[in-house]
Amino acid sequence: MSTRLCDLALCFQGVIPSVVATCDAAGEPNITYVSQVYYLDEQHVALSCQFFNKTKRNILENPQATVVVYDPLSFDAWRLVVRFLREEKSGPLFDSMALRIEVIASHTGMSGVFRLISADVFEVIALEPLPGFKSAAPAPPSAVPPQPAGPLTELRGLQKVSERIARAGDLESLLGGTLETLDELFHFSHSMVLVAESEGERLVAIASHGYGEAGIGAEVALGEGLIGTVARRRRMLRLAGVGAELRYGRAIRGRVQECEGAARLAPEIPLPGLPDAQAQLVLPLIARDALVGVLAVESRDPLCFDEWDEAFLQIVAHQIATGIERMSAAGEESEQPAQAPLARPRQPRTALAPRCFVYYKNDDCIFVDGEYLVRNVPAKILWKLLGQHRDAGRSEFSNRELRLDPKLGLPPLKDNLESRLILLRKRLVEKCPDVRLVPTGRGRFTLELDAEPALVERESA
Amino acid sequence: MQPQLDPQLTEFFESGVSLLVGTRDARLLAENTRAMGLRVEPGGREITLLLPVATAERTLANLRDNGRVAVCTSRAEDHRSVQVKGAVIEIRAAMASERAIVERYRKLIAASWGFLGMPTNLTFELSCWPCHAVKLGIESIFEQTPGPGAGAPLRRPGAPASS
Repeated sequence: MSTRLCDLALCFQGVIPSVVATCDAAGEPNITYVSQVYYLDEQHVALSCQFFNKTKRNILENPQATVVVYDPLSFDAWRLVVRFLREEKSGPLFDSMALRIEVIASHTGMSGVFRLISADVFEVIALEPLPGFKSAAPAPPSAVPPQPAGPLTELRGLQKVSERIARAGDLESLLGGTLETLDELFHFSHSMVLVAESEGERLVAIASHGYGEAGIGAEVALGEGLIGTVARRRRMLRLAGVGAELRYGRAIRGRVQECEGAARLAPEIPLPGLPDAQAQLVLPLIARDALVGVLAVESRDPLCFDEWDEAFLQIVAHQIATGIERMSAAGEESEQPAQAPLARPRQPRTALAPRCFVYYKNDDCIFVDGEYLVRNVPAKILWKLLGQHRDAGRSEFSNRELRLDPKLGLPPLKDNLESRLILLRKRLVEKCPDVRLVPTGRGRFTLELDAEPALVERESA
Repeated sequence: MQPQLDPQLTEFFESGVSLLVGTRDARLLAENTRAMGLRVEPGGREITLLLPVATAERTLANLRDNGRVAVCTSRAEDHRSVQVKGAVIEIRAAMASERAIVERYRKLIAASWGFLGMPTNLTFELSCWPCHAVKLGIESIFEQTPGPGAGAPLRRPGAPASS
């Protein structure tokens, strides 16, 4: 049976770079690696063009080329004879190919420097295994990596994830429970959810799985790196062979530095989670046509994710987005009216450990015992709570009174207060576990202290 | 003046980098194969490629037809790449004594690709012997590292400019 182009899905993931050979009109051959070979349909592929180079000049003069692609699991090689049809500089194909390059450019500090010029569309004239490339006979193209059993199991798994989302009583259990279930049932062992701040310029990680507490509170600017780019473009992105992509980006960065100096280059941005991640799948969370956050999963296996994961997590992402929206609306609408604050007499305490909280006014940032804790609205909230506890002995608080406090700077609509409290709670667990915010009912919580906090305000560091 | 590979480039070419070989047929359709070894000849103006017989049928036919050849050398770890172009001087069966070049190359490239995650046993499954030995005269040398300037004639301190 002859090989079909769609059988070569693994070859097109870019884990092993493909090679393209062309020839100019005068008969001079040229050969080089190509960054992306993109499957369009059974008769067509697209090659990425980031620079107007010799390959591009050659195909404009002489539209035929051969491309060799490699299966990253078996190392079998496949030869495609292709004929150049057209270049696309906008549209869905261009956007899909450009997104991947935009992300790598962002992580390697080359946003705006390294970008897709065109998606060059080729007709595939012939496709054959490269004879003799391996000493043994070529194996059939690798099957898609094992999926989690059959469709019924997948549906049941999805049902369980969906159930966790539907039953969650608060945002923290919704996100934490979902990520945990995704690992239990589908082995997505490293995942995180970042929510969009209402100001729309940043995303903040408020739930993660597989990283311990590290990473909670991590901020990503919109448009920056893999997660920020997915958020800004509102398009899902799957990257395989991340290490190879970054090496490619760094090679170009090195050449830009040599040829043009470093003035146009920004610092590199570290990967969001695992420093040695080889596969990333990042999905925007959209509810009512608004970005509410990003779901990101990653793996050290470069071929961990495929079309199935994309489709499956897309469904989960929609549910998470709707869940976040639901929690946010519920938080704002169904709180009990604030009761009169309960002033509790201070209890004499014995030998509580001292904790020094310093609030820097210039950037709304709190350090505890000299270590960064939290900033922005969560920092203002904590400062209010600690201050009221010190001055009035209060320990019971409501979300509503926070919403009504103009000093906290919460926007009147979509204030993300629940997300901010989750972030604050988790940062305290990580950095200062003897100060806790404990939910006591819908929209209410207690400040618990096993430490003696000293509060210091400074204008700047 | 015919360009030549200086000692640094010679070392790079012989260091176990990927060896992509491009040729073309009479209808100007390019062909695409890999060499499994390379020797820079004394003087740096000629190189000898070792092309596995199992994979080089079309390439050999092209070389016998018109002799034009491009060789892209690329280091997997950082994509540092240089391309030479030229014409065939000689095609012959590789000698038994040249097998050591192939064996050395295979170990080096397996280590290089292994660094990137390719299992060594897979690299060792590639056909590598017997080989054709193809000597070519270098006519031009180009920078090929991806980025601005890729495809431009290579100019480096101490290296002769190429056209």
